[in-house]
Amino acid sequence: MGGGVEILAQTEASPPATPPEGAPLRVGVIGLGAWGREIISTLARVPGVEVAAVCDRYPALMRRAVRNATGAAQLEDYRKLLADKSVSGVVVATPTHSHRAIAVEALQAGKHVYCEVPLAGTLEDARAVAQAAAAAGPRQVFQAGLQYRSDDQHVFIYDHFIRTTAIGRVAMVRGQWNKKQSWRATALDPDREREANWRLARATSLGLVGELGIHQLDVASWYLGALPEAVSGFGAIVLWDDGRDVADTVQSVLEYPGRIRMLFSSSLANSFEAETQTFYGADAAILLRGNRAWLFKEADAPHWDWEVHARRETLDKETGIALRADASKLKPTEAGEGPVDLPPLTPPLQAALGAFAANVRLVTGAAEDFVASYGAHDPKGLAEALGQVTRRPAAGYREGYAATVTVIKVEEAISTGQRVEFKKEWFELG
Amino acid sequence: MKTRRLTTTLTLALSLAAAHALRAAEEWTKYDAKPGSKVQIDGTSNIHDWRVVGSIIGGFVEVGPGFPTDASMTSVAPGKMQARAQVTIPIRSTRSVNHDGTPYNTKMDEIMYEKLKMETHKSIAFKLSELTLKEVPKKAGDPFLFDAVGEIMAAGETKKVEMPVSLTFPDKDKMKFDCQVTVKMTDFKIEPPAPAIAGGAIKTGDEVKLSLSMMTQKKAAAAK
Repeated sequence: MGGGVEILAQTEASPPATPPEGAPLRVGVIGLGAWGREIISTLARVPGVEVAAVCDRYPALMRRAVRNATGAAQLEDYRKLLADKSVSGVVVATPTHSHRAIAVEALQAGKHVYCEVPLAGTLEDARAVAQAAAAAGPRQVFQAGLQYRSDDQHVFIYDHFIRTTAIGRVAMVRGQWNKKQSWRATALDPDREREANWRLARATSLGLVGELGIHQLDVASWYLGALPEAVSGFGAIVLWDDGRDVADTVQSVLEYPGRIRMLFSSSLANSFEAETQTFYGADAAILLRGNRAWLFKEADAPHWDWEVHARRETLDKETGIALRADASKLKPTEAGEGPVDLPPLTPPLQAALGAFAANVRLVTGAAEDFVASYGAHDPKGLAEALGQVTRRPAAGYREGYAATVTVIKVEEAISTGQRVEFKKEWFELG
Repeated sequence: MKTRRLTTTLTLALSLAAAHALRAAEEWTKYDAKPGSKVQIDGTSNIHDWRVVGSIIGGFVEVGPGFPTDASMTSVAPGKMQARAQVTIPIRSTRSVNHDGTPYNTKMDEIMYEKLKMETHKSIAFKLSELTLKEVPKKAGDPFLFDAVGEIMAAGETKKVEMPVSLTFPDKDKMKFDCQVTVKMTDFKIEPPAPAIAGGAIKTGDEVKLSLSMMTQKKAAAAK
């Protein structure tokens, strides 16, 4: 292996956060667990967004959530939030098995919806969410929480190294998500404790592959431009044998067209190497780790002119070219050795929520401009015009549904120990 | 008695004048903007050319008696035409693109919006003041060719322009107007951008070419 290069995405720097014109986008967040609260604190960094309401049935979670959403209405019933006409967008961050009812009702109430993934825990529920998003039409934005689809780094690597086949034919993909943690929450009330630990029960959870692996599996399908054809899986409770029936350590092999396989492993028993994903091409491998990425070229790979500008870093025994989405030839500090001294990229969740807000604004603005120019009596023309709006990169209902179908079946393979062949009709919305 | 006769005569005269004015107004035909329009703005810089596109053009064209309203009216004599037009292009509906039509850069869009003072002036507008027919089609499919004089309003400033306009008829009751005009940003007191993201190394040219293709459709008669 002939040295690695950290991949510095070559687009210009992300634009500075400038508040958009007009009034802020008023958003409600439903589900105030740890991830819901992370979303609220991230929304505070998205220009032009106001968290207008937060919603959860548990007062303790509500109290914690409003620390980062001063002035937000505190609601126990999500239907009250959906009835509030001043709220344009809704973020659904409740446990997976409760997404369907909330997301479908939110869409039917005319809200723009950001729904966390998996969209649901069953094919039937996931299809209902996706169908509701399709039925809502182009004036409403539906975004699935596959945040890497909006991440500058992932988009940059796809555009410059994967879609262009710069790394050669992809031979295999490997992904992992490791972190030593129990996933168990404690509560004084047994009923509350059971609800808070929904991720530990197969009846309500798709386990590690559903709650975490879905992001890497989606990136694999996106980069490979294909859906998996079959999957084999393994899982076991190796450390946290506390009554749960969801595996704390899993491995799976997904088979993609062209004899390409993706190996995904995840464990709550060990943190080594945390989250990484690697695409192995015939000319080079790309390693993605958080917001950073490196390129490791084969000795017989073609030479690229830009390599002379590249900064190299050594990871373990390999030297890689650092890849990064906001680097450009106009920045002479790129070349050299050692870690790249550039400001951190926008975190993927912030990028995804920013894309959601931007797309709501784009679609709303385009609809207003269309109606102001041509009147309100041409719904077909309006739909066509909205279809031409250039949106910020984000996962829609199709991507969210496909990724959800994938993890539902991967989890099935893991929990049954049986190889599952994907049926095409599972991915169809009807 | 004389007074009554005079009053009757005046009333009759006024009625006739009003009827004439009404008839004259009826002879004007209004064409409203419809989907299917295209806006393109091409500019230059010291590193590469740039392009902005949009697909919304609002407004109307109103034409008087004798104006060619279908392709067969080739016997219309060249000369000044009775026509009124007001055109608006919502600025936020325009986007920078690469030459293959893919999105270019949201930062470039933001710079453009800021330079056009979108917050206070939401549209680029054009108002027609004079339209002269120069040439009728020589064969089927050729356009009617006009010279237009009017004013472009952008970023709160107004600039008189003259430009050639071509007219075609893509469908029954539809007229499509195509025109191109080159203007300078400084005509509208816009300083050509030198984006800070490149340390001011990128300099934009002052001249931009504005190309419009505006689709219009005859306004439906009001229901009786």
